[in-house]
Amino acid sequence: MTTPRRWYNCDGMANASENALDRRRFLKRGLFGGALLLAGGSLPFVFRTTRRDWAPRGPLRLLSADEYAVLGAVAARIVPGDGADARWPRADALDCAGKIDALMATVHPDVGHDFRRLLRLIESGVLGAVIAGSPRPFTRASAAQQDARLEAWRRSRLALLRSGYQAVKRLCHATYYSSPEVYELIGYPGPPLVPQPVEPKAGDAVRGR
Amino acid sequence: MTAPGKIISGTELADIPSAEVDYVVVGSGPGGSTAAAVLAAAGAHVAVLEEGGHYTRRDFNMQESWAYPALYQEHGNRATEDLSIMILQGRSVGGGTTVNWTSSFRTPERTLALWAARHGVRGLDAATLAPHFEAAEKRIDVGTGDPADVNANNRKLHDGAAKLGWEPELIHRSVKGCARLGYCGMGCPLDAKRTSRTTFLADAVAAGADVYADCRAILVETDRGRARAVVAEVLDRAADRPRARFVAYARRGVVLAGGAINTPALLLRSKAGLDSGQVGRRTFLHPTVPLIAFYDQPIEGFYGPPQSVAVHHFADRGDRVGYFFETAPIHPMLAALAFPGFGDTHRKIVERLPYAQATIALLIDGHHQDEGGSVAVSRDGRIKLAYPLSEPLREAAVAALGDMARLQLAAGAREVMTLHETPLIIRSEADLPAIAAAPFGPNRHTMFSAHQMGGAAMGDDPTRAVVDSRGRHHQIENLWITDGSVFPTSLGVNPQLSIYAHAHLFATEIAAAAARGP
Repeated sequence: MTTPRRWYNCDGMANASENALDRRRFLKRGLFGGALLLAGGSLPFVFRTTRRDWAPRGPLRLLSADEYAVLGAVAARIVPGDGADARWPRADALDCAGKIDALMATVHPDVGHDFRRLLRLIESGVLGAVIAGSPRPFTRASAAQQDARLEAWRRSRLALLRSGYQAVKRLCHATYYSSPEVYELIGYPGPPLVPQPVEPKAGDAVRGR
Repeated sequence: MTAPGKIISGTELADIPSAEVDYVVVGSGPGGSTAAAVLAAAGAHVAVLEEGGHYTRRDFNMQESWAYPALYQEHGNRATEDLSIMILQGRSVGGGTTVNWTSSFRTPERTLALWAARHGVRGLDAATLAPHFEAAEKRIDVGTGDPADVNANNRKLHDGAAKLGWEPELIHRSVKGCARLGYCGMGCPLDAKRTSRTTFLADAVAAGADVYADCRAILVETDRGRARAVVAEVLDRAADRPRARFVAYARRGVVLAGGAINTPALLLRSKAGLDSGQVGRRTFLHPTVPLIAFYDQPIEGFYGPPQSVAVHHFADRGDRVGYFFETAPIHPMLAALAFPGFGDTHRKIVERLPYAQATIALLIDGHHQDEGGSVAVSRDGRIKLAYPLSEPLREAAVAALGDMARLQLAAGAREVMTLHETPLIIRSEADLPAIAAAPFGPNRHTMFSAHQMGGAAMGDDPTRAVVDSRGRHHQIENLWITDGSVFPTSLGVNPQLSIYAHAHLFATEIAAAAARGP
């Protein structure tokens, strides 16, 4: 490739990624999966102990401050940069959780609802104790415990937990790795420079902006 | 001569409550645009409703962070219910063609024969379709396969297959003046890719059709066996929430072409024409299994035409499910989504991005006893796609992984990495048996689909098919389907060109019948 390259500015739009869960479908899958999600939906006190280490940059569009704090804590572990190698930006430096909040505000309301339910489940110390022997709220667990819990979701025999892990994993990786700030670190020079398109002719189709 | 129509976006549309035209076409991808062009050329007044926004090459900034939310269904979030298969499906004026990777194939004769033998499809052979393929190929500038299109990513697929005697072929691409940037999937910033927006839809607009963007069809209204209107929500683009209603009344007919997931969902939501019991059933995805190989020299799979080589050596495996190989472009976000693990484990894989090669195996579903997936709609309108991975497909996926690994080793890969949740590293033939032993199942290995087909199958038996062999609905006499949902099985090749050609045939016959009078 000989085309000169330059960096393009991001349009500021939030990112692509993956869907959340559907409760009814999992209910059909068997008692354990169903009971888990019901539990996730009826954990009224789960956020009482949530540590709000991660504060949003601006007004949230879908999540509550507690839900955002859980997502922030999850994102910090899912993406690199949390102390491992100083060159890599941290999740909060790229506003991963904020971008995910903005994106999930535009998907079907049911999906957004299920996503919030999922965050509640991740925060639950009861579930943490059962699956990874880690009884504290996710936001209060150590980094190693948090990793162990995500690992338990990832490798679970329960389809529900594997799906839940994929939902947060993909959202975090999508927002992080589509950020121009990390392109150089992964050896991606960015999009090539292309000639500026000519201005539209009269009679060109109306632009839909 | 008819005055040209125009493309109207949601912001303007909020003040227009309704329109009355001859034909309402839902969807502006290959199926909808072609139908609109043919009908408008025959003198009919056509309205095209498109859920996505209207973007032009000036908008295409080649950034994944913009392109996937703007140009893909569910903002890039579409997936099966359990998230095991990510669905790449376009959503903008131009539909899937805006983000298509340009690979153009005619429907294989083997597939047409299967439809005739097992699915009651009549009068649809290669000869019947040939003039319609020619018309589509001409309009979207399908070339003949250019060796200069082969980037390093595709070169490895080619060389590995050639060494093993697996007959690699050059892919015919729908481009004109292609600069080989490599960003087809994010919208072509040069308009060198021939999309429906720049071809058939432009023809339709020139012949008087109006295109309503940001306009999501939610119901087809029927009355005594006839479709009379399509009710749509006008979307606020930034929030993707309805801001107004729009009703398009159809004097003559309605053509559905929202794609193989949205079209069945629209019929289900409308509770219209469901007597066959086949709407939303037998959805096929060419479930796609990627394999990554690392080379000592840079591959830079982010640049150059995304797909230029295909291998169909394993398309016919007799009693077992067949598959074919192509490549996928390797941009940071798409690759990061596909790579397993998290944190530093994941980072160490992503760091090798420039040296990665991605071969994909597309499983040819629906040709055996496998029934594919299903589309359903929840009470509040949410589309739910399910795709259970049956044993014949699992067998094919695992076999394909082994064959792709063998191919990569033959092409000189330093090592091959599977996308199991715990990846296998394969450095020699001796490591291959590990593939069969590794767990393969939902969310245990990366899978995606860029080819959605079926869900409203054609065929002449009204108890087994939704539409007849010319796309006309068996129950609703003035409703046609001209997208990939009519395919009774998957195709075994990239479907875009087949959708153009079938739509061209169906619309030509709609126009001819209308000309003959009622």
